[in-house]
Amino acid sequence: MDFFSPVIAGFGVVFQPENLFYCLLGVTLGMLVGVLPGLGPAATIAILLPVTYNIEPTAAIIMLAGIFYGAQYGGTITSVLLRLPGEASSVVTAIDGHEMARQGRAGSALGIAAIGSFIGGTVAVIALTFVAPLVAGFALDFGPAEYTALALLGILLVSTLGTGSTTKSILMATVGLLLATIGQDPLAGTSRLTFGSDQLLDGIDFVIVAMGLFGVGEILYSLESLRGKSAPAPSVGSVYPSRQDLGESKGAITRGSLVGFILGILPGGGATMSSMVAYAVEKKAAKHPERFGKGAIQGVAGPETANNAAATSSFIPLLTLGIPANATMAIMFGALLLQGITPGPLLVQEKPDLFWGVVNSMYVGNILLLAMSLPLIGIFVKILRIRAAILAPLTILITMIGVYTVRMNVFDMFLMVGLGIVGYLMKKVGFEPGPLVLAFVLGSLLESSFRRSMRLFDGQLTGFFGQPIAATLLVAILLIIVVPPLSRSLRKQRRKVAA
Amino acid sequence: MTSVVPEEGVPEEEDGLPVPPTPAYARRQNIVAALIPLAIGVITGIMSWSLGVGTLSNPGPGLWPLAVSVAMVVTAAVLVLRSGPTGEEETFTREALIVVVAAVSLVGYALLFERIGFEIPTVALLVLWLKGLGREGWRMTVIISLGTTAVLYLLFVTGLGVSLPHILPF
Repeated sequence: MDFFSPVIAGFGVVFQPENLFYCLLGVTLGMLVGVLPGLGPAATIAILLPVTYNIEPTAAIIMLAGIFYGAQYGGTITSVLLRLPGEASSVVTAIDGHEMARQGRAGSALGIAAIGSFIGGTVAVIALTFVAPLVAGFALDFGPAEYTALALLGILLVSTLGTGSTTKSILMATVGLLLATIGQDPLAGTSRLTFGSDQLLDGIDFVIVAMGLFGVGEILYSLESLRGKSAPAPSVGSVYPSRQDLGESKGAITRGSLVGFILGILPGGGATMSSMVAYAVEKKAAKHPERFGKGAIQGVAGPETANNAAATSSFIPLLTLGIPANATMAIMFGALLLQGITPGPLLVQEKPDLFWGVVNSMYVGNILLLAMSLPLIGIFVKILRIRAAILAPLTILITMIGVYTVRMNVFDMFLMVGLGIVGYLMKKVGFEPGPLVLAFVLGSLLESSFRRSMRLFDGQLTGFFGQPIAATLLVAILLIIVVPPLSRSLRKQRRKVAA
Repeated sequence: MTSVVPEEGVPEEEDGLPVPPTPAYARRQNIVAALIPLAIGVITGIMSWSLGVGTLSNPGPGLWPLAVSVAMVVTAAVLVLRSGPTGEEETFTREALIVVVAAVSLVGYALLFERIGFEIPTVALLVLWLKGLGREGWRMTVIISLGTTAVLYLLFVTGLGVSLPHILPF
């Protein structure tokens, strides 16, 4: 029982009443901020980061898990009721979910989404419990060359699998990498790109980048439509799905859990891709595919189960390799670093209590999400009825004071507002913040492992290809860069021939 | 806020929704949006170079930022050349003035925050955003502004013991 003893010991910690309270608080706050239209999980977690900062590590991690799941579900609520998905992964939920809401079945849609999320999330945590230590064991042999390739691959995948233009995403990634170099040189201690400012000598804190680009940027952006009427949220009805609803969704939830878990492990748009694939799978599997788009409950149950399962399994690359798979994970990465936890292959072995603490808090986060969401949906719907003109200033104040409390430094406020303005402008011209934030997080790892590899290989770039794993990863990178434009031009040629 | 899945059959309101720009406008906007990172990349590239690049086997502090700057300049240059409209651009309308006012007010908030305590700037910011930007009624504005400031005070100063700069002695 060697394997399970730390797992079970971890449960003892998580189920202490105090920690349960923090988890509950996290789920509530996550949902509260997550239902604000326009704020996706990444923005929600970013805004709430300072709240966890002043709490002791174990409780803070548990609270973070709560915020994480609460924020995910908050996006589902706006998706179903207002047709405003908080992020790409709940876009497909809006199709049938909002249709159900129009038919007066919003409650059933939200209820089945909560149940599906719970099952998908829990299945994924259980699978993660077994898979993560294996991956971490495999990654123990990774040297600087492997990490250089892995970090590059992670950044590239997020840039190419994102929704926007690949070139724009890559440009954003380079901006993130550049921002990460501000401050002292990790090896020589020389100050770099600080423009003579002492405040920048320690580099830019990740919290400020995340809160600025996601939090302040999104709020500034939402101000443009502040005076527009907010759509009235439809009435919800009973949130407890009927036996028929449950019967119809059983298959969708099972398939969604599987699809979500597997796709979530892959770096890039795990949750988004999985929700779309799950929707497609349900449509294929359905006896009445014509009901999709007209309020089919499977169209909500499948994708919602899948995106929560994927959100959970995307913790695997984060916790075992130290490579966040998407923007939300990048923010979780920063949050864990704030608590003094460095995700990576050594975490399971050297700090099993922390590792299993994080994993077990996900079980609890899932349970509490289910326990909280069903009875409290009514309250969250009321929040949706509050005008954006009132919500925006309250959120911005929490963000401003929150960023101050991290270091008690007013300079951070200026920096965050500045990055917020950048985030707003980026949104206006069609640049996505996701790749920037991810690259910023991975920047120092990428630089230090690149420099260490170069020393190891005596300055020969070809040295990377002498390492089998690093070489494989680099080939994958080359394929990602070369294949899409190639297939595009091939398709063009074929079309020309056909014409 | 953007409705990602637009309602079918319901005419979309003009105000509150992003206005799609004309192709010429989008192209100009795209060029400017790419030229800014291009310029930044050139500047940081020069700064990195002067830090000392070293050699590949013994990199200096400037090598990595230089490499990143070069990558940034190259991608930005590609974007300048491919500046055709992508459908992701949005026009800067008069509504954008609200954002300017909001951003300036946040800078002002940060300026005053440590000098005169958080209470007055907080009330002032809320009044500006609620009444000025959001056009809420006066009653609502006063209640929310004073109420929120009181709650924040109780939460941070009294409750969490975080030392926010404040003037009210409790």
